Amino acid sequence: MAELQVRLTAADFEPLHTDQEIHSLSRPSLSYWQDAWIRLKANTRAILSLYIVLGLLAFTVLGPLVWDVDPAAQDVDQISLPPGADRTATIVAPYAPWSGGSVLPAAEGLRLAETPNSENVRLLWDPVPGAASYSVYRSLFDVGEDRALGLPLVDLFGADAVRFEDRLDLSPRTYHYSVLARDADGTELDFQTLEVQVSRVITAEQALERGLIDSLNDVQIGDEVLMPLHPFGTDYLGRDMLSRLMHGARVSLFIGIAAPLLYVLFGVFYGSTAGFIGGRIDQALMRFADFVVALPFLLFMILFKIAFGIGPGESGILPMLVALVLLSWPATSRLVRGQILQIREEGYINASRLLGAKNGYLVVRHMIPNTMGVILVTLTFAVPSAIFTEAFLSFIGMGVAPPTPSWGSMCNEGIKTMLTTPHELIFPALFISITVLAFNLLGDGLRDALDARMRSTE
Amino acid sequence: MSDAITSEDSLTRAAGRQLLTFAFFAIAGIALLMVGLAWASSLTGAASGGNNAVDPETGTLTVFLREEPPQLNSSLSTDQVSGSVLGHVIEGLLRYDEHNRLVTAVAERWEIREHGATFWLRQDALWSDGEPVTAHDFVFAWKTGLDPANASEYAFILYAIKNGEAINRGELPTSTIGARAIDDHTLEVDFERPLAYFDKLVAFSTYAPLREDFYLATSGAYGADADKILYNGPFVIESWVHGASLRMRKNPLYWDRERAKVEVIDFAYITSDANATLNLFKDDKIAYATLQAENLNNAMEQRWHIDRFMDGSVFYIEFNHREGRLTANHHLRKAMQLATDSAELVYKVTKLPGYLPGESLFPVWLQGVDGYLREEYPANYPAMDLEQARWHLEQAKAELGIDEFPPLVLLTGDNPISNIQAEYYQQVFRKNLGLDLKIDKQIFKQRLAKMLSGDFDLVLAGWGPDYDDPLTFGDLFASWNLNNRGQYRNPELDKWVRVAQNEQDTKARMDAFGEIQRIIIDDAVILPGYERGVTYVTHPQMKGMVRRAVGPDPDFTNAWIEG
Repeated sequence: MAELQVRLTAADFEPLHTDQEIHSLSRPSLSYWQDAWIRLKANTRAILSLYIVLGLLAFTVLGPLVWDVDPAAQDVDQISLPPGADRTATIVAPYAPWSGGSVLPAAEGLRLAETPNSENVRLLWDPVPGAASYSVYRSLFDVGEDRALGLPLVDLFGADAVRFEDRLDLSPRTYHYSVLARDADGTELDFQTLEVQVSRVITAEQALERGLIDSLNDVQIGDEVLMPLHPFGTDYLGRDMLSRLMHGARVSLFIGIAAPLLYVLFGVFYGSTAGFIGGRIDQALMRFADFVVALPFLLFMILFKIAFGIGPGESGILPMLVALVLLSWPATSRLVRGQILQIREEGYINASRLLGAKNGYLVVRHMIPNTMGVILVTLTFAVPSAIFTEAFLSFIGMGVAPPTPSWGSMCNEGIKTMLTTPHELIFPALFISITVLAFNLLGDGLRDALDARMRSTE
Repeated sequence: MSDAITSEDSLTRAAGRQLLTFAFFAIAGIALLMVGLAWASSLTGAASGGNNAVDPETGTLTVFLREEPPQLNSSLSTDQVSGSVLGHVIEGLLRYDEHNRLVTAVAERWEIREHGATFWLRQDALWSDGEPVTAHDFVFAWKTGLDPANASEYAFILYAIKNGEAINRGELPTSTIGARAIDDHTLEVDFERPLAYFDKLVAFSTYAPLREDFYLATSGAYGADADKILYNGPFVIESWVHGASLRMRKNPLYWDRERAKVEVIDFAYITSDANATLNLFKDDKIAYATLQAENLNNAMEQRWHIDRFMDGSVFYIEFNHREGRLTANHHLRKAMQLATDSAELVYKVTKLPGYLPGESLFPVWLQGVDGYLREEYPANYPAMDLEQARWHLEQAKAELGIDEFPPLVLLTGDNPISNIQAEYYQQVFRKNLGLDLKIDKQIFKQRLAKMLSGDFDLVLAGWGPDYDDPLTFGDLFASWNLNNRGQYRNPELDKWVRVAQNEQDTKARMDAFGEIQRIIIDDAVILPGYERGVTYVTHPQMKGMVRRAVGPDPDFTNAWIEG
């Protein structure tokens, strides 16, 4: 038996060198969020929606700084103006009641007494023998063979009532005026028609008041000025649509983001508590959630409005927020509870527990991150539904108080003039649709990105 | 291997077949349901007719009602829709004709003295059950209207009759009424005080006759259904489907049978939605429709025949004059008066033809001594003057001892035209005076309740005439008038109202109205907005429809179908 001699040298105790090669083979370790972000970036629709959402936030927050126009200011000279309309106006002398005289050379028949403008159109005609009354009509279209006279403006009685001043809602366009003379029995005696081209005018005082000129001395009668610019047109009271959309977005996005954030947070807390504790407490908590589901939203919204002492003509946004938060959380809490119940029984939870993990650690480290997908998706889907709720409530007049705009109330006002001035409805409706679609697509993308089971499958 | 594929294949096929069967049944089921529903709707639709707006063959005119009449008891009805329906089926002593002249109806001739009047009734005026209309029916109707147990809101219009007010307050029994049937066809009335316009009052529906035996037989349900009314007008109600339709047929027993020219007036739709009625008109379902500002261009494009009439009513902002209200301050009201321009409201904001910028409580159509009241007594309404307005505002602040006005509440109805006006005024006062307004939008009933309890600072209100005399507007702000919702109290105004009520001389009365007009403007009791016009389109074949400010409107009794 030979004795085995082991000779150890100092070199034997040298640590092994770190093998850089092996490490360089693997990818850098990705956190959950980094991984989710990579997958979200690959989803073009979601990214586009994200940009739209960011753009909307900028539109709301930064927009009014750039486009500093009072959303309540009424420009009565430019009511229901479509976007891109001509805005030149000629300066004229202030309005004075008409004495009946004419400054234009005398002519035959139905004629203009003065150059027609958007302040007034002054018509003169010759007395018709035997006439007892004259009716003046105005149409946007040619009178034609079928005598479509248009709007009956006035009935003037007496044979010498041979002049009329029209001031009703004149805009720069062509009008067809007709005068019908009748005798005492109402029989038609004479019929004349006249085509009038109206141009837009403004007085120097009005121009000064609207900030179009700096002082009265800057302009003379006959000069041309540009009316205030309204890139998106104006509404039925001449208010700037762009400014109203920006300010309306504040209300819509505030409700759309604040309410879901609050109630989803509460729902997560409530649901995870119920799911984690389980047993009787879970039963009791979830039955209470069922009870809340059964409460009618609109009724509570009205009750809160009264309880808060919100008087007439005041904004109903706060009670709307409270009602949304108090009544909408059960859906989230149910989802989260279901997830937590499932995760609680997973092997890694038990392993973690055996290794001595405390409850708080389990919840924060394992449970919440694994339900994060569900939570974020609920949140992004809750945003459009809250925006819709606000729009709907403002549409039926329960939301904002005039003159504060919101997209919903703008739609409500715009729908009345849908056929004649569609831009008043289309713009707010478009903004609601785009916002809701963007949040929905973003939610879709987030669901795919945040699903832990799809992690690193590529 | 091949076996497995075939079995899988056949399975797929079987599943496909199953799906196909399901799809077939589902589609067939839906189709059947649709056919069934279409059939069901044609069943219910047949009653109100899938007909055209006018039918010359059967002489049927199809129109609409803005609202369902709450009931058709002439002594209790208050609203305009009931007034219009009653105008077709019930006839009083006198009525307005198509030129708005007062003409004989049940009364053949009449005589008005200083302290009373006598009416001689025609022999051939019959109820729809064939019995004659007698003077007793009028006395009974007036007693019913005044009886405090019936709480008729229009009882005050009967106060012209002797003891009327005392009976209505419950101080005297109804038997003390100052009206007697001398015989079946002679009716005599005593006046409470001398009265110049009693003939105009008796055309109002509260003065229409009711027959006692029939009225009592309905045990309180008179006017609730088509068979619970007795008719004596040119038409009778043939059917009344509550909330859906009302159909009238020519009354064969009416004394002036030639007057009604159509056989049937079918109020086939009950809706106040202007767009709905316009679409019905477009589809040739109704013979007339009212236009809103936003439909005007469309109507011109369709080349429709557009008509217009002044419905006689004035609209204004009424202030709350109750003590403690900021609007009780004269200077504040004056400031608001000088900061508004009703011409801008009418020409740029409401944009409907036929609206006149408001200047006075009295509309332009009221008759004065010889011509129009407003021509004889011009309103001289102050023009907009911002400098003066701001001076008044400073005065108001000093008097009230405040630096800044809290927001004032503007009470308004919930219809589009009120909304636009409210928002317009809100901005006008904010821009011109720095005053904030809060808009309190309420439905009609709620708005009335709030007006009555004084829960407002300003209210968008209006008043339509009940009878053809300036007094129908003139007594509105008398301290005792229940319709003086702002509770304006001014002994001087009261004095002039008394003069207008009691004086027999037309000139003296008109002078009184001139004074009332002056006080209302000088003290800025109201801010006149506009006198309302109504713009409407009519079917080219329908002629003779009458629109009027005082009396039943619209009135189809004289309408006929051409061609």
